[in-house]
Amino acid sequence: MKKTLKNIGITSVILFVAFLLSLLFQNVFDVKEHVSTVFVFAVFLISLRTEGYLYGIVSAFIGVLLINYVFAFPYFAFNFTLPVNLISAIIMIFLSILTCTLTAKIKKHEQEKAEIEKERMRANLLRAVSHDLRTPLTTIYGSASTLLESPSSLDEGQTQGILHGIKEDSEWLLRMVENLLSVTRIDSGRVKISKTPTVIEELIDSVILKFHKRYPNQKVELTIPEDILIIPMDAMLISQVLTNLLENAVQHTEHMTQLSLSIYRSGQQAVFQVEDNGGGINPELLPNIFTGYSGLSDEHSDSHKHNAGIGLSVCATIIKAHGGEIFANNNQKGGASFWFTLSVEDTHDEQ
Amino acid sequence: MSNNKYKILLVEDESNIRNLISTILEAAGYHTIAVGTCSLALSLFASHVPDLVILDLGLPDRDGMYFLQAVRKEHNTPIIVLSARSHEKDKVDALDAGANDYVTKPFGSEELLARVRTALRNSRMNSDTLPSHDGKFILRELVIHYDARRVFIGDTEIHLTQTEYNILAYLSMHAGKMMTYSAIIKAIWGQSDEGSIKKLQVNMANIRKKFGAKPGEENYIINELGVGYRLNIDQKN
Repeated sequence: MKKTLKNIGITSVILFVAFLLSLLFQNVFDVKEHVSTVFVFAVFLISLRTEGYLYGIVSAFIGVLLINYVFAFPYFAFNFTLPVNLISAIIMIFLSILTCTLTAKIKKHEQEKAEIEKERMRANLLRAVSHDLRTPLTTIYGSASTLLESPSSLDEGQTQGILHGIKEDSEWLLRMVENLLSVTRIDSGRVKISKTPTVIEELIDSVILKFHKRYPNQKVELTIPEDILIIPMDAMLISQVLTNLLENAVQHTEHMTQLSLSIYRSGQQAVFQVEDNGGGINPELLPNIFTGYSGLSDEHSDSHKHNAGIGLSVCATIIKAHGGEIFANNNQKGGASFWFTLSVEDTHDEQ
Repeated sequence: MSNNKYKILLVEDESNIRNLISTILEAAGYHTIAVGTCSLALSLFASHVPDLVILDLGLPDRDGMYFLQAVRKEHNTPIIVLSARSHEKDKVDALDAGANDYVTKPFGSEELLARVRTALRNSRMNSDTLPSHDGKFILRELVIHYDARRVFIGDTEIHLTQTEYNILAYLSMHAGKMMTYSAIIKAIWGQSDEGSIKKLQVNMANIRKKFGAKPGEENYIINELGVGYRLNIDQKN
């Protein structure tokens, strides 16, 4: 609907300008020969700027009629018997069809290029992920086989160690899979995510409870507004973001003693901020921190480092899908801080 | 001895998971009957009359929901649903269809056993009637006097509004069971409209505040985002 209006608008404006120009040429400069050129150009522009063949061809016809009626001899009367008029009519329609075909081809080409680019990114991510999945699987597979095949040659401590390794690496796998699931939840169907009003206190409650299950010894200092704050969101996805940010701090920050999560309102935005007092982020990594996995395909370092990249890019994807913004920075007094914003009111309220 | 054991029917088609759960349950002293299809589950349910069912929803022959509905027509046997992490809606649907609880895969043995204990305790208390002698509900420090409609934590009386009290009383009558938003709304307000969930959430926030609950710390009421609320009867430590 909007597109049709836009196309009609473009068509009328260009035709009108062409008409004015022709009037100007004919009446002020007394040039008669180039009127049809002006309209040919107009039709060309219209075909270029609008979608499909319809607008170009319609404007070609309008142009032909206008030239014939207004600008060609006999003036203010239709006459298609003169060969000059007929030829310019045919040329204009032909040109319009040609331009439309060409633009359609270019547009299709561009779309294909974007599609290929997207496909390439997906393949890269897939490659990085499979590489990352392999490492913990190696531990799990190897450990289980060891326990099965030579249970008697291991002492109690060794067995415990192997079992702990299995548990740790499966937890890591689980987190990875949860992140991937979150992304597919956004990608699938390309529909806007479904937001439901969520009480911030309840959201934080479940995030922190889950976090404490994984890291019983890591305290999180909480600051939440006194008044009840209800924000429309996909609660599962936002929990994922907060969990990623908190876990990221625990896993990748050295010398961290304090971890805090604060939520405050700033105008129509709610700000969620995760801060630590550890070593901060390497300034070189900072600009690309949310696009994570782009450069990692040729880098075969410790797989556990990659998880941060994927985790943070998942955060960025989720926040973007919510129409919010996400930032990372190093604090002046040391440590890193991540924060994101969500709109308090849903701009297009659901039903 | 073995006659005193609780009988648990486990319905799960994935044989590795079935073995794992059976082992966990047997080790905890439950008698387990494990099956992999919906039809087998229905016939074994009829012949064994288990005390509890653990049900995976994705079964090869029929959807687990079919089993759930079929059993619920005639029995109150507690049913715990195993669900893969997906949308909240699946959980809500299962709970509204009569499931008592759900456990999200993957889960630890501790978590599963806690849910099993809770579900069994609930059915023993005959969860749909008042769980009390002399009109009182007691959970750790929390005491509810149903006749006087008064609530205490320790010696301190908690002053709740009518609605807040009704919600709390309703949760206490189904203590330990996850109650969906729609179930609570139906019980408290009768019918639901657009603002019902928000109304419930605001009342809940007030109850939490009056209870002095802090986010991220275990409290009397557990909230499950997008699903509902549960009175927490698991004694932590």
